[in-house]
Amino acid sequence: MSTLRQAVAAEWVKLWSVRSTWWCLGGALVLMVLGAVTLGGSTATEALRDGATGLRLTASEPVVAATSFAQLALVAAAMLAVTSEYASGTVRVTLQATPVRGVMLAAKALVVAPVMAVAGVLSGAAATAAVYLLLSIDLFGGLVVLPPGEVVRDLLGVGVFYALVSVMTVGAGLAMRSAAGTLTVMFMLLLGLPLMLLMAGSPAALGAALRMPTFAGLAFMGSTVNMAGGPMPYPAWEGLAWLLAWAAVAVAAGHVLLRRRDA
Amino acid sequence: MAVDDLSLELKPGAVTGFLGPNGAGKSTTMRLVLGLDRPSAGTALVGGVPYHRIKNPLRTVGALLDARALHPGRSGRAHLLALARSNGIPRRRVDEVLEMVGMAGAAGKRAGTLSLGMSQRLGIAAALLGDPEVLLFDEPVNGLDPDGVRWVRGLMRSLAAEGRTVFVSSHLMSEMQLTADHLVVIGKGRLIMDAPLAEVIAGSSLTAVLVRTPHAGDLAVRLRAAGIRVDRLGENELEATGAPVERVGDLAYEAGIRLHGLRTREASLEQAYQELTSGSVEYGAERAGA
Repeated sequence: MSTLRQAVAAEWVKLWSVRSTWWCLGGALVLMVLGAVTLGGSTATEALRDGATGLRLTASEPVVAATSFAQLALVAAAMLAVTSEYASGTVRVTLQATPVRGVMLAAKALVVAPVMAVAGVLSGAAATAAVYLLLSIDLFGGLVVLPPGEVVRDLLGVGVFYALVSVMTVGAGLAMRSAAGTLTVMFMLLLGLPLMLLMAGSPAALGAALRMPTFAGLAFMGSTVNMAGGPMPYPAWEGLAWLLAWAAVAVAAGHVLLRRRDA
Repeated sequence: MAVDDLSLELKPGAVTGFLGPNGAGKSTTMRLVLGLDRPSAGTALVGGVPYHRIKNPLRTVGALLDARALHPGRSGRAHLLALARSNGIPRRRVDEVLEMVGMAGAAGKRAGTLSLGMSQRLGIAAALLGDPEVLLFDEPVNGLDPDGVRWVRGLMRSLAAEGRTVFVSSHLMSEMQLTADHLVVIGKGRLIMDAPLAEVIAGSSLTAVLVRTPHAGDLAVRLRAAGIRVDRLGENELEATGAPVERVGDLAYEAGIRLHGLRTREASLEQAYQELTSGSVEYGAERAGA
């Protein structure tokens, strides 16, 4: 166990000693705030135009929806923790120090997941505050509300979602090794494929799309604002189960290939 | 197949030079030892156990495989600190090894800005980090200036003098001749020679005994009678191959022939190496035909 603890300490040093981590986390924050404010603004404007009265928008609701694309910056951060090792060749140095490959994989996941969870909670909190401050103007007549319990639950949900997406990214990164390959795979899994399936329009395709990570995450976070336009066909806990399954498959693929291939 | 049925045992307290043409399998052998590549058959053991079973392996085996294997955006100090953390090595050891390789001043610079020579020093620092008993260096003097080359030579010698096992690959024969005690030569993934440096050089056909004598003709007859190959270099000079200098001197003495000069001309390692590896190519061709 202490081998794993040491490997985690090493990965921690590595993650924070390169600027790209900070850039990606900064990008995740900016995307989250801009996305949430835009989505919240459009919801508020629509409500105003339709003359809907009594409608309430929880400030963290557009934040949850904004994770659909803000997650890409976080995927980049998690990915670089793996692919930069292959690009520079330092993976051989890492494996000299931590020769049991499963330990190396676990250490990366154990560092990346909590960091991304915290990044999700903090960027989500900033975005919630931005939505509340910008949209609680008189024009929208007190449409945006800030119920503490619901906001906290949403933000924690964002943290868990980000943690699981980043673990998935670590698995995909170890399987693909290259940044371009990993980013392509992750983009397709998170956005490309589900959107294509949505456009296909058949009930089967819709069902499949809603079980891919992004929509599973939205379901888990209890979102009602989602790109599918309809209600989720399954409860929040099932969304979490789908997310866990996706992360497990990615990690298993990464582990098998990591063990089988020469470094 | 890069390496085929290669058995090696390295000795502590000596620098073992690892030679072979490009693509002979030197780097592959090192990667196999470190568990980075997987052998299709056989085992690589360090101190009797496979590499991945060693707890805190950097404290047992230090290796420099590729000096360019650094994240360009990470400082040398952070690179070493991460390695130290992964093997439970105290933080102050990072500054110690940086000092040791003369990089204390450049430790905070991002690795992408380091020259190849500086990267090489950082790689050596990483190998020394765990104060290991076994050290593997793949081409450690690549990119170093003459001072750096001399420094590496001194370092290898002193690491071996401390009783460590030092295994160094290099293309630079003149450098190996000055650094190594023992040589392992491979070609096409097979072992060609595993012998002390002195023996490799003595075994070369280009190692010869040069004799100056006013009776060169008489001596030549005597030496040839004893089965020694003799070439006449001049009126008073002979070159005898295939016998140590003592034997040539004794034979002259027994025959009562006066000598004006008697010395050994050693082949350079480069010459001995050329002979060995050209042999391996012929051997390969023979096998292909058989």
